[in-house]
Amino acid sequence: MKNETAPAGSLKRHMGLKASNTISNTIIYILLVIMSIVWLIPFICIVLQSFRVESTWQVGYVIPKQWGWKNYIDLWHTDFKKWYLNTLIIALVTAVIQTVIVLCMSYTLSRFRFKLRKPLMQFMLILGMFPGMLTMIILYRVLKDLGLTQANAVPGLILVYVASSGMGYYVSKGFFDTIPKSLDEAARVDGATRAQVLYKIILPLAKPIVIYTILTAFMAPWGDFVFARYISFGTSAGMNVAVGMYNWLNLDQIGQCYTRFCAGGVIVAIPVTILFMCLQKYYVEGVTGGAVKG
Amino acid sequence: MASVKLTKVKKVYDNKVVAVHDFDLDIKDKEFVVFVGPSGCGKSTTLRMVAGLEEISDGTIEIDGEVVNDLQPKDRGIAMVFQNYALYPHMTVYDNIAFSLRLQKMPEDQIYERVTNAAEILGITDYLMRKPRALSGGQRQRVAIGRAMVRESKVFLMDEPLSNLDAKLRNQMRAEIILLRQKLNTTFIYVTHDQTEAMTLGDRIVIMKDGYIMQVGTPTEVFERPANLFVAEFIGAPKMNIMKTELLKENGKYYVKPFGVKLPVDGEKGELLAKKNVPAGEILLGARPEHIRLAKPGETSIPVTLEVNEMMGSELHLHVYTEDGTRLIVRVPTIDLTAAERENLVQGHKLNITFEGKVMHFFDEENQTNLIY
Amino acid sequence: MKKYSDLEYLQLSKGKRFLYKLASFFLAIPTFFKNLGLGIGRFFKNLVLSIGREFADIFSTFKNGDWKTKVSYLVMGFGCLARGQILRGLLFLAFEVIFIVYMITTGGYWLGMLPSLGKIGPHEEYSVVHDAYTTVYGDNSFKILLYGVLTLFFIVAFIYTWRANVKQNKIAEQILKSGKKLRSGKDDLRSMVDDNFHKTLLALPLTGILLFTVMPIVFMILVAFTNYDGAHDGFNNALFQWVGLDNFRTMLSWSGSGVNYSATFGEILSWTLIWAFFATFTNYFLGMFVAMMINKKGIHLKKVWRTVLVMTIAIPQFISLLYVSKMFSLNGIINGLLIDLKLISPSNAIDFLGNNAHSGLLPRIMVIIINIWIGIPYLMLIATGILMNIPADLYESSKIDGASGWKQFTKITLPYMLFITGPYLLTSFTSNMNNFNVIYLLTGGAPTNAAASGAAGSVGYTDLLITWLFKITTGAESKYYLASVVGILVFIVVAVISLIVYNVLPSVKNEEDFQ
Repeated sequence: MKNETAPAGSLKRHMGLKASNTISNTIIYILLVIMSIVWLIPFICIVLQSFRVESTWQVGYVIPKQWGWKNYIDLWHTDFKKWYLNTLIIALVTAVIQTVIVLCMSYTLSRFRFKLRKPLMQFMLILGMFPGMLTMIILYRVLKDLGLTQANAVPGLILVYVASSGMGYYVSKGFFDTIPKSLDEAARVDGATRAQVLYKIILPLAKPIVIYTILTAFMAPWGDFVFARYISFGTSAGMNVAVGMYNWLNLDQIGQCYTRFCAGGVIVAIPVTILFMCLQKYYVEGVTGGAVKG
Repeated sequence: MASVKLTKVKKVYDNKVVAVHDFDLDIKDKEFVVFVGPSGCGKSTTLRMVAGLEEISDGTIEIDGEVVNDLQPKDRGIAMVFQNYALYPHMTVYDNIAFSLRLQKMPEDQIYERVTNAAEILGITDYLMRKPRALSGGQRQRVAIGRAMVRESKVFLMDEPLSNLDAKLRNQMRAEIILLRQKLNTTFIYVTHDQTEAMTLGDRIVIMKDGYIMQVGTPTEVFERPANLFVAEFIGAPKMNIMKTELLKENGKYYVKPFGVKLPVDGEKGELLAKKNVPAGEILLGARPEHIRLAKPGETSIPVTLEVNEMMGSELHLHVYTEDGTRLIVRVPTIDLTAAERENLVQGHKLNITFEGKVMHFFDEENQTNLIY
Repeated sequence: MKKYSDLEYLQLSKGKRFLYKLASFFLAIPTFFKNLGLGIGRFFKNLVLSIGREFADIFSTFKNGDWKTKVSYLVMGFGCLARGQILRGLLFLAFEVIFIVYMITTGGYWLGMLPSLGKIGPHEEYSVVHDAYTTVYGDNSFKILLYGVLTLFFIVAFIYTWRANVKQNKIAEQILKSGKKLRSGKDDLRSMVDDNFHKTLLALPLTGILLFTVMPIVFMILVAFTNYDGAHDGFNNALFQWVGLDNFRTMLSWSGSGVNYSATFGEILSWTLIWAFFATFTNYFLGMFVAMMINKKGIHLKKVWRTVLVMTIAIPQFISLLYVSKMFSLNGIINGLLIDLKLISPSNAIDFLGNNAHSGLLPRIMVIIINIWIGIPYLMLIATGILMNIPADLYESSKIDGASGWKQFTKITLPYMLFITGPYLLTSFTSNMNNFNVIYLLTGGAPTNAAASGAAGSVGYTDLLITWLFKITTGAESKYYLASVVGILVFIVVAVISLIVYNVLPSVKNEEDFQ
């Protein structure tokens, strides 16, 4: 074979693989840095503003002129602690009950083939097309008659959340579908009843989705506005943090309560965020696995 | 001219792992070269460096005399068939094959001609409007080949194309690749882990291990004159029998003493040993199963006991072990034995085997290289 | 029109192929409708047939059954009891007793009042005790509607159970005739954790859904045919009545009394659709883009970028949204920044989201943009998961074929993503249509659209159908019937869109391609 060296002309053709890569990577890094800043700004602002003590109304600048804990102390003197406690109780109870219900539903729909299975799923699909708010009106009346509203909003809300939580089976079912049915069959050959198959074999394998379901069930009540607003119906003792703090930003209250809102926001957000970040990988697994395999 | 020349090509990964060491190879135009070796030997990595899918850490690769280290894959004049076919699932077979031509802005009627021609050669004309999902493994393989064919490139790269097919289909496709090669008449670089494919398809075989080239040669060369123990054991099935033996030199003639039995090294091998003046001592002696035979009564032979008898149809694979426990395999054609003799071949049966000097292979005990070649 | 064979089709030019496909599409439409009609006809025929079969079965079971079966027609569970299935028999019997007692005491009353929804409303009556006119309350339309519907459900449940009872007898007779034993109570209990485990598991969730979702929805659908509102709440102020399709006529008419409902509805509907479209697709493509950026070979700190973005999912939406809406207000941080940078003067603060904007355009755009901020992290997660699953050799092969980065995106990444997330896009679209939080918390529906505010106070340019619904129910007049009508119309819109998309989506048609 002839041993030729490359003619210089071939370099004219392209910028080479390495150079064009570096340029596009640099652009991407710049974009990512900008994005990170933009995404985090509101939260940085909230935290900073919560320490502002020179005024309590909304201002046009971010960094406080005077720093202090006053806003946090103020929180203690309002109904905030009641709202926080309410929401915490709701979140904890809902997390447990809702997980049980959702798992029952999704496991059944994934594993069992019974006559009404497909019609049931289609029916729930159609039910989901109705705006959820529509049911609020009558549920409010019924709950009122049962005494589960206003001051007793907490049990009322819990009931509303968990009762129809079975409709949110989609993601969990997707997850269960990925566990091979041969595991079930092997266990049944070994003599297990279907109930035993569920809690001896499947549940241990379903840890990621269980955690995902608990996490999402826990996080939801912290942010729910509409239902909580309806059921608490103006009684402060029955509100959750979302409804209570919403009122602080109303035109009549915002003068006094803006910084207090920021402080409240920080207190609400921190524990939830920390919990989320710890369990982040389960959340990601649930979203990417179940949500799109469908 | 579509020659491929690799000079001191080296591939090092970020974590300092060296996948390919100092690879030197000259591939002639229209030659069919096979890279073969066990998993992880670096054959696919080398192929991908030729294709441009891996960056070359050191050394140069020239295609047709032009250094292509910094060229994009599409500018190197290559076409590639992937192990998993890499067919675009949402396009029809026709669109799959036509994809690269459309990127080159070729006029549609020209595309139509090329694609239908390729389809006819490969026998997939009936499937042109189907999607890959509706095809069997063998058909998908043909589409993948067709996609590479229509580019009429200088070098044809194939990365373990038959690995995903069942045994029967693999034999069939092997023959078709040989026919394809005759029709296409370009340079081929073919990667496989199967030594049978390497032997039947290649003009030359490159045997690799742990990133090093163990030997380059024609099928005959690597079979009859393996450069080292690795090649000797890799090529040929069942594996060559290797025995630790003493090499003796008496009066200018060589003898080997496997398991205490003295056998003469006569013929050409003996002369080569003498020419190279190989010293006596401990060596590794190799003899292929098909070259060992059952000793006739009265011949100098090695006593062995039968462990397993595999009936292969036209021949028997006898797994035997010697007095000191060394295991050997002997291939005996079925017609060489009478029915009575065959019935005796049960576990525990005692046999005597021997082999001639012309089938012996000699390897250095320490560096495992071939002593004569 | 000539039908081309595969090879002939391939030889056509691009233009001719398009025309051919177009023509085939239009020619297929009549067949589509014919099949649709046939399908519907077949559905009803099957329905009638199966009902007929049920009746025939009921009849024949009676005729061919033994005396135990015949008595069971009247006394549910008798057959089971007589044949030794104590548990089942008792359950059936108990159900029948409860039902009969219920119907006699209260069920009959509610059912009877259902057509009229109450005859005697609250009125003034002279009370001797107080020597004055006091308000006396009569019927309760709300309770009548509620319990009436419940009673109907109960009746349906009873019919179903009675039918099951009859079937039980038939099966029991067959089993006994073939010499096998009937299941005892213990067997039944055991099967609840085995063969019938699914029924056990589903019992609680389905009951919850039935009571808290199905019932309210049925109730609200019925309300749409009444005039239930703040002034006619059924008990305290006045009774409400059935009004038939009047509400629908008002909603969809061109000119109502004073308030032009259909125009309002049309406006809000069109904005809702536009909003849902942009909200879904901007998040989708931008999220995909961000995922691809982070996923690219050679980018380091992948986890850091992803974590920063994912953190924003954790923070409760009401905090983020409320705060961001304040950031953009007239004296908020953004305006403050712009004033500091001398880009605008203090008196010209931009009202991004608020009530003082002249047209709805800026708030609408702002809402979409802020929604991107909310939605991208989530979409990025999904896109990342999918991107990692696309086989790498597809990209390598296309690289060898000469595809540029853009071509790789359009021919490999995009089709793959669209296929996998097709159903997700649809649900995302419909849930964005009902995305209450983002709109309400950011703008409250502002700026106000005076023409639209007749139905409820301060309906605005950024209101969605769902926030309009909310305002109607919490507004001064609490026109519940109107809210129900809007709810039903929302349902129809969503259902129609879903149906169309499902039948057109490639995912559904070419499901097997990507396996």
